[in-house]
Amino acid sequence: MENMNCEDFIIQKFALLDGENADISASEINAHFETCENCRREIEPLESASLLLQRQKRSEPQADLWTAIGKRIGAKSKAVFTVGWQPFAVVGALLVVYKLFEMIPERDLGWALKIVPFVIVAALFGFLKENPFKINTELIPEK
Amino acid sequence: MIDDRQIIERCLSGEKEAFRFLVERYQKQAVGHSLTILGNREDASDATQEAFVDAFQALKSFDAARRFYPWFYVLLRNRCFKLINKRRVAENIENAEILAPQSGVSNEERIALERALRELSKEEREIVTLKYLDGFSYDEIAGLLEIPRGTVMSRLFHARKNLQAKLTGKFH
Repeated sequence: MENMNCEDFIIQKFALLDGENADISASEINAHFETCENCRREIEPLESASLLLQRQKRSEPQADLWTAIGKRIGAKSKAVFTVGWQPFAVVGALLVVYKLFEMIPERDLGWALKIVPFVIVAALFGFLKENPFKINTELIPEK
Repeated sequence: MIDDRQIIERCLSGEKEAFRFLVERYQKQAVGHSLTILGNREDASDATQEAFVDAFQALKSFDAARRFYPWFYVLLRNRCFKLINKRRVAENIENAEILAPQSGVSNEERIALERALRELSKEEREIVTLKYLDGFSYDEIAGLLEIPRGTVMSRLFHARKNLQAKLTGKFH
Protein backbone atom coordinates (compact mmCIF):
# COMPACT_ATOMS: atom_id res chain seq x y z
CA MET A 1 0.00 0.00 0.00
CA GLU A 2 2.96 2.30 0.64
CA ASN A 3 3.79 2.35 -3.08
CA MET A 4 0.28 3.18 -4.21
CA ASN A 5 -0.37 6.46 -5.97
CA CYS A 6 -3.64 8.32 -6.54
CA GLU A 7 -4.38 6.43 -9.77
CA ASP A 8 -4.06 3.12 -7.91
CA PHE A 9 -6.49 4.32 -5.25
CA ILE A 10 -9.01 5.40 -7.89
CA ILE A 11 -8.73 2.00 -9.57
CA GLN A 12 -9.34 0.31 -6.22
CA LYS A 13 -12.26 2.62 -5.44
CA PHE A 14 -13.83 1.71 -8.78
CA ALA A 15 -13.52 -1.95 -7.92
CA LEU A 16 -15.69 -1.25 -4.86
CA LEU A 17 -18.16 0.85 -6.88
CA ASP A 18 -18.39 -1.95 -9.45
CA GLY A 19 -19.23 -4.44 -6.69
CA GLU A 20 -15.88 -6.22 -7.04
CA ASN A 21 -13.23 -7.16 -4.50
CA ALA A 22 -10.50 -4.55 -4.23
CA ASP A 23 -6.87 -5.48 -3.61
CA ILE A 24 -6.86 -3.49 -0.34
CA SER A 25 -9.54 -2.97 2.29
CA ALA A 26 -12.42 -0.55 1.79
CA SER A 27 -11.41 1.36 4.91
CA GLU A 28 -7.90 1.96 3.51
CA ILE A 29 -9.38 3.19 0.23
CA ASN A 30 -11.90 5.43 1.94
CA ALA A 31 -9.26 6.82 4.30
CA HIS A 32 -7.23 7.94 1.30
CA PHE A 33 -10.27 9.58 -0.32
CA GLU A 34 -11.05 11.46 2.88
CA THR A 35 -7.67 13.10 2.82
CA CYS A 36 -7.09 13.43 -0.94
CA GLU A 37 -9.11 16.15 -2.61
CA ASN A 38 -7.48 15.41 -5.96
CA CYS A 39 -8.86 11.85 -5.97
CA ARG A 40 -12.33 13.01 -4.94
CA ARG A 41 -12.33 15.56 -7.73
CA GLU A 42 -11.12 13.06 -10.30
CA ILE A 43 -13.42 10.14 -9.53
CA GLU A 44 -16.70 12.03 -9.66
CA PRO A 45 -16.88 12.64 -13.46
CA LEU A 46 -15.49 9.16 -14.14
CA GLU A 47 -18.26 7.67 -12.06
CA SER A 48 -20.93 9.66 -13.88
CA ALA A 49 -19.55 8.51 -17.26
CA SER A 50 -19.79 4.90 -16.08
CA LEU A 51 -23.34 5.39 -14.81
CA LEU A 52 -24.32 6.95 -18.12
CA LEU A 53 -23.01 3.91 -19.96
CA GLN A 54 -24.66 1.50 -17.54
CA ARG A 55 -28.08 2.88 -18.48
CA GLN A 56 -27.54 1.95 -22.12
CA LYS A 57 -28.21 -1.29 -23.94
CA ARG A 58 -25.98 -2.87 -26.53
CA SER A 59 -27.29 -2.94 -30.05
CA GLU A 60 -27.83 -6.50 -31.25
CA PRO A 61 -28.43 -6.36 -35.00
CA GLN A 62 -30.65 -8.94 -36.65
CA ALA A 63 -28.60 -11.82 -37.96
CA ASP A 64 -29.36 -15.07 -39.70
CA LEU A 65 -26.08 -16.87 -40.05
CA TRP A 66 -27.19 -20.48 -39.82
CA THR A 67 -27.73 -21.09 -43.54
CA ALA A 68 -24.14 -20.16 -44.36
CA ILE A 69 -22.65 -21.82 -41.27
CA GLY A 70 -24.73 -24.97 -41.75
CA LYS A 71 -23.43 -25.34 -45.30
CA ARG A 72 -19.85 -24.86 -44.21
CA ILE A 73 -19.97 -27.45 -41.45
CA GLY A 74 -21.90 -29.89 -43.64
CA ALA A 75 -25.09 -29.88 -41.62
CA LYS A 76 -28.47 -30.86 -43.04
CA SER A 77 -31.06 -28.13 -43.22
CA LYS A 78 -32.93 -28.66 -39.99
CA ALA A 79 -32.25 -29.75 -36.45
CA VAL A 80 -35.04 -31.43 -34.56
CA PHE A 81 -35.22 -31.77 -30.82
CA THR A 82 -36.21 -35.41 -30.52
CA VAL A 83 -37.75 -37.05 -27.50
CA GLY A 84 -38.10 -40.81 -27.27
CA TRP A 85 -41.50 -42.52 -27.19
CA GLN A 86 -41.05 -43.61 -23.56
CA PRO A 87 -42.35 -40.45 -21.77
CA PHE A 88 -45.48 -40.47 -23.92
CA ALA A 89 -46.04 -44.21 -23.28
CA VAL A 90 -45.75 -43.64 -19.52
CA VAL A 91 -48.22 -40.75 -19.65
CA GLY A 92 -50.62 -42.81 -21.78
CA ALA A 93 -50.45 -45.73 -19.33
CA LEU A 94 -51.06 -43.41 -16.38
CA LEU A 95 -54.08 -41.88 -18.07
CA VAL A 96 -55.53 -45.34 -18.82
CA VAL A 97 -55.03 -46.36 -15.17
CA TYR A 98 -56.71 -43.13 -14.11
CA LYS A 99 -59.70 -43.79 -16.39
CA LEU A 100 -60.08 -47.35 -15.07
CA PHE A 101 -59.86 -46.09 -11.49
CA GLU A 102 -62.49 -43.46 -12.27
CA MET A 103 -64.84 -46.12 -13.63
CA ILE A 104 -64.93 -48.03 -10.33
CA PRO A 105 -68.35 -47.28 -8.78
CA GLU A 106 -68.50 -45.42 -5.43
CA ARG A 107 -64.93 -44.18 -5.81
CA ASP A 108 -65.68 -40.51 -6.13
CA LEU A 109 -62.85 -38.60 -4.46
CA GLY A 110 -64.20 -35.20 -5.57
CA TRP A 111 -62.10 -32.53 -7.28
CA ALA A 112 -58.83 -34.07 -6.12
CA LEU A 113 -59.38 -36.98 -8.48
CA LYS A 114 -60.46 -34.75 -11.36
CA ILE A 115 -57.20 -32.80 -11.46
CA VAL A 116 -55.06 -35.94 -11.76
CA PRO A 117 -54.97 -35.93 -15.62
CA PHE A 118 -53.95 -32.24 -15.62
CA VAL A 119 -51.15 -32.97 -13.18
CA ILE A 120 -49.93 -35.84 -15.35
CA VAL A 121 -49.93 -33.73 -18.52
CA ALA A 122 -48.27 -30.78 -16.72
CA ALA A 123 -45.57 -33.18 -15.48
CA LEU A 124 -45.01 -34.32 -19.09
CA PHE A 125 -44.53 -30.75 -20.30
CA GLY A 126 -42.27 -30.09 -17.32
CA PHE A 127 -40.17 -33.10 -18.27
CA LEU A 128 -39.97 -31.96 -21.89
CA LYS A 129 -39.12 -28.43 -20.71
CA GLU A 130 -41.73 -27.10 -23.08
CA ASN A 131 -44.34 -24.41 -22.57
CA PRO A 132 -47.70 -25.71 -23.90
CA PHE A 133 -48.98 -22.13 -24.26
CA LYS A 134 -46.01 -20.88 -26.27
CA ILE A 135 -46.82 -19.78 -29.79
CA ASN A 136 -44.28 -21.11 -32.25
CA THR A 137 -43.21 -18.22 -34.47
CA GLU A 138 -40.60 -20.27 -36.26
CA LEU A 139 -42.94 -22.47 -38.28
CA ILE A 140 -41.79 -23.02 -41.83
CA PRO A 141 -44.40 -23.91 -44.46
CA GLU A 142 -44.03 -27.36 -46.01
CA LYS A 143 -42.84 -27.31 -49.60
CA MET B 1 -35.29 -25.26 -23.45
CA ILE B 2 -32.37 -27.42 -24.45
CA ASP B 3 -29.19 -26.21 -22.74
CA ASP B 4 -25.82 -25.48 -24.31
CA ARG B 5 -24.16 -28.56 -22.87
CA GLN B 6 -26.79 -30.89 -24.33
CA ILE B 7 -26.43 -29.20 -27.71
CA ILE B 8 -22.66 -29.63 -27.63
CA GLU B 9 -23.01 -33.29 -26.66
CA ARG B 10 -25.33 -33.82 -29.61
CA CYS B 11 -22.91 -32.08 -31.98
CA LEU B 12 -20.06 -34.22 -30.67
CA SER B 13 -22.11 -37.35 -31.20
CA GLY B 14 -22.31 -36.46 -34.89
CA GLU B 15 -25.54 -34.48 -35.07
CA LYS B 16 -24.17 -31.39 -36.79
CA GLU B 17 -27.62 -29.85 -37.19
CA ALA B 18 -27.85 -29.34 -33.43
CA PHE B 19 -25.23 -26.62 -33.74
CA ARG B 20 -28.00 -24.51 -35.20
CA PHE B 21 -29.42 -24.01 -31.69
CA LEU B 22 -26.16 -22.44 -30.53
CA VAL B 23 -25.89 -20.23 -33.61
CA GLU B 24 -29.46 -19.00 -33.25
CA ARG B 25 -29.08 -18.47 -29.52
CA TYR B 26 -25.92 -16.37 -29.67
CA GLN B 27 -25.65 -14.86 -33.16
CA LYS B 28 -27.24 -11.50 -32.31
CA GLN B 29 -25.11 -11.04 -29.22
CA ALA B 30 -22.01 -12.11 -31.15
CA VAL B 31 -22.65 -9.75 -34.06
CA GLY B 32 -23.20 -6.96 -31.51
CA HIS B 33 -19.83 -7.72 -29.92
CA SER B 34 -18.06 -7.94 -33.29
CA LEU B 35 -19.62 -4.66 -34.32
CA THR B 36 -18.12 -2.96 -31.27
CA ILE B 37 -14.66 -4.08 -32.36
CA LEU B 38 -15.00 -3.83 -36.14
CA GLY B 39 -17.51 -1.04 -36.53
CA ASN B 40 -18.95 -2.44 -39.73
CA ARG B 41 -22.03 -4.62 -39.93
CA GLU B 42 -20.86 -6.71 -42.87
CA ASP B 43 -17.45 -7.37 -41.35
CA ALA B 44 -19.12 -8.15 -38.01
CA SER B 45 -21.32 -10.78 -39.68
CA ASP B 46 -18.33 -12.28 -41.53
CA ALA B 47 -16.22 -12.48 -38.38
CA THR B 48 -19.09 -14.01 -36.41
CA GLN B 49 -19.71 -16.60 -39.10
CA GLU B 50 -16.02 -17.55 -39.17
CA ALA B 51 -15.95 -17.74 -35.37
CA PHE B 52 -18.94 -20.10 -35.28
CA VAL B 53 -17.23 -22.36 -37.81
CA ASP B 54 -14.06 -22.25 -35.67
CA ALA B 55 -16.15 -23.07 -32.61
CA PHE B 56 -17.76 -26.05 -34.31
CA GLN B 57 -14.39 -27.39 -35.32
CA ALA B 58 -13.00 -26.87 -31.82
CA LEU B 59 -15.98 -28.29 -29.90
CA LYS B 60 -13.96 -31.36 -28.90
CA SER B 61 -11.67 -29.14 -26.87
CA PHE B 62 -14.57 -27.36 -25.13
CA ASP B 63 -14.46 -27.82 -21.38
CA ALA B 64 -17.99 -28.80 -20.34
CA ALA B 65 -17.48 -27.11 -16.96
CA ARG B 66 -17.33 -23.73 -18.71
CA ARG B 67 -20.12 -21.68 -20.20
CA PHE B 68 -20.24 -21.67 -24.00
CA TYR B 69 -20.33 -17.96 -24.74
CA PRO B 70 -17.18 -16.84 -22.86
CA TRP B 71 -15.28 -19.66 -24.60
CA PHE B 72 -16.76 -18.65 -27.94
CA TYR B 73 -15.97 -14.97 -27.32
CA VAL B 74 -12.23 -15.70 -27.37
CA LEU B 75 -12.62 -17.26 -30.84
CA LEU B 76 -14.84 -14.40 -31.98
CA ARG B 77 -12.34 -11.81 -30.83
CA ASN B 78 -9.51 -13.59 -32.60
CA ARG B 79 -11.54 -13.58 -35.80
CA CYS B 80 -12.28 -9.85 -35.45
CA PHE B 81 -8.61 -9.01 -35.00
CA LYS B 82 -7.61 -11.26 -37.88
CA LEU B 83 -10.07 -9.43 -40.09
CA ILE B 84 -8.72 -6.08 -38.95
CA ASN B 85 -5.20 -7.15 -39.88
CA LYS B 86 -6.34 -8.55 -43.19
CA ARG B 87 -8.60 -5.75 -44.34
CA ARG B 88 -7.29 -2.88 -42.25
CA VAL B 89 -10.84 -2.01 -41.19
CA ALA B 90 -9.80 -1.06 -37.67
CA GLU B 91 -10.79 2.50 -37.02
CA ASN B 92 -13.45 2.98 -39.65
CA ILE B 93 -16.48 2.89 -37.40
CA GLU B 94 -18.37 6.09 -38.17
CA ASN B 95 -21.58 4.27 -38.97
CA ALA B 96 -21.53 1.59 -36.28
CA GLU B 97 -24.55 1.44 -34.02
CA ILE B 98 -23.13 0.22 -30.75
CA LEU B 99 -26.03 1.30 -28.55
CA ALA B 100 -29.67 0.41 -29.00
CA PRO B 101 -32.39 3.06 -28.60
CA GLN B 102 -34.49 2.41 -25.53
CA SER B 103 -37.16 4.06 -23.46
CA GLY B 104 -36.01 6.14 -20.52
CA VAL B 105 -32.79 7.19 -22.24
CA SER B 106 -32.77 10.33 -24.36
CA ASN B 107 -31.56 10.10 -27.95
CA GLU B 108 -29.23 13.03 -27.35
CA GLU B 109 -27.52 11.17 -24.51
CA ARG B 110 -27.26 7.95 -26.49
CA ILE B 111 -25.88 9.65 -29.59
CA ALA B 112 -23.30 11.61 -27.57
CA LEU B 113 -22.22 8.45 -25.81
CA GLU B 114 -22.10 6.52 -29.05
CA ARG B 115 -19.85 9.16 -30.64
CA ALA B 116 -17.60 9.15 -27.59
CA LEU B 117 -17.35 5.35 -27.72
CA ARG B 118 -16.43 5.46 -31.41
CA GLU B 119 -13.56 7.80 -30.62
CA LEU B 120 -12.03 5.36 -28.14
CA SER B 121 -9.49 2.80 -29.29
CA LYS B 122 -11.02 -0.60 -30.11
CA GLU B 123 -9.45 -2.11 -26.98
CA GLU B 124 -10.90 0.60 -24.74
CA ARG B 125 -14.29 0.42 -26.44
CA GLU B 126 -14.33 -3.33 -26.02
CA ILE B 127 -13.44 -3.42 -22.35
CA VAL B 128 -15.71 -0.59 -21.29
CA THR B 129 -18.71 -2.08 -23.12
CA LEU B 130 -18.05 -5.58 -21.76
CA LYS B 131 -18.14 -4.10 -18.29
CA TYR B 132 -20.98 -1.62 -18.50
CA LEU B 133 -23.22 -2.88 -21.31
CA ASP B 134 -22.85 -6.62 -20.76
CA GLY B 135 -22.21 -6.49 -17.02
CA PHE B 136 -19.32 -8.95 -17.02
CA SER B 137 -17.26 -9.08 -13.83
CA TYR B 138 -13.54 -8.25 -13.78
CA ASP B 139 -12.70 -11.95 -13.60
CA GLU B 140 -14.97 -12.77 -16.53
CA ILE B 141 -13.44 -9.96 -18.60
CA ALA B 142 -9.99 -11.24 -17.71
CA GLY B 143 -11.06 -14.63 -19.07
CA LEU B 144 -12.61 -13.17 -22.23
CA LEU B 145 -9.61 -11.02 -23.07
CA GLU B 146 -7.03 -13.47 -21.71
CA ILE B 147 -5.34 -10.85 -19.55
CA PRO B 148 -4.72 -10.64 -15.77
CA ARG B 149 -7.40 -9.11 -13.53
CA GLY B 150 -5.09 -6.25 -12.59
CA THR B 151 -4.71 -5.34 -16.25
CA VAL B 152 -8.51 -5.32 -16.61
CA MET B 153 -8.75 -2.84 -13.72
CA SER B 154 -6.06 -0.61 -15.12
CA ARG B 155 -7.42 -0.70 -18.70
CA LEU B 156 -10.89 0.08 -17.45
CA PHE B 157 -9.56 3.10 -15.58
CA HIS B 158 -7.93 4.53 -18.70
CA ALA B 159 -10.95 3.68 -20.87
CA ARG B 160 -13.27 5.48 -18.43
CA LYS B 161 -10.96 8.43 -18.29
CA ASN B 162 -10.83 8.74 -22.07
CA LEU B 163 -14.57 8.20 -22.37
CA GLN B 164 -15.21 10.94 -19.86
CA ALA B 165 -12.85 13.29 -21.71
CA LYS B 166 -14.65 12.63 -25.00
CA LEU B 167 -18.03 13.10 -23.34
CA THR B 168 -17.01 16.43 -21.83
CA GLY B 169 -16.54 17.78 -25.32
CA LYS B 170 -19.90 16.37 -26.45
CA PHE B 171 -22.12 17.63 -23.65
CA HIS B 172 -20.58 21.06 -23.08
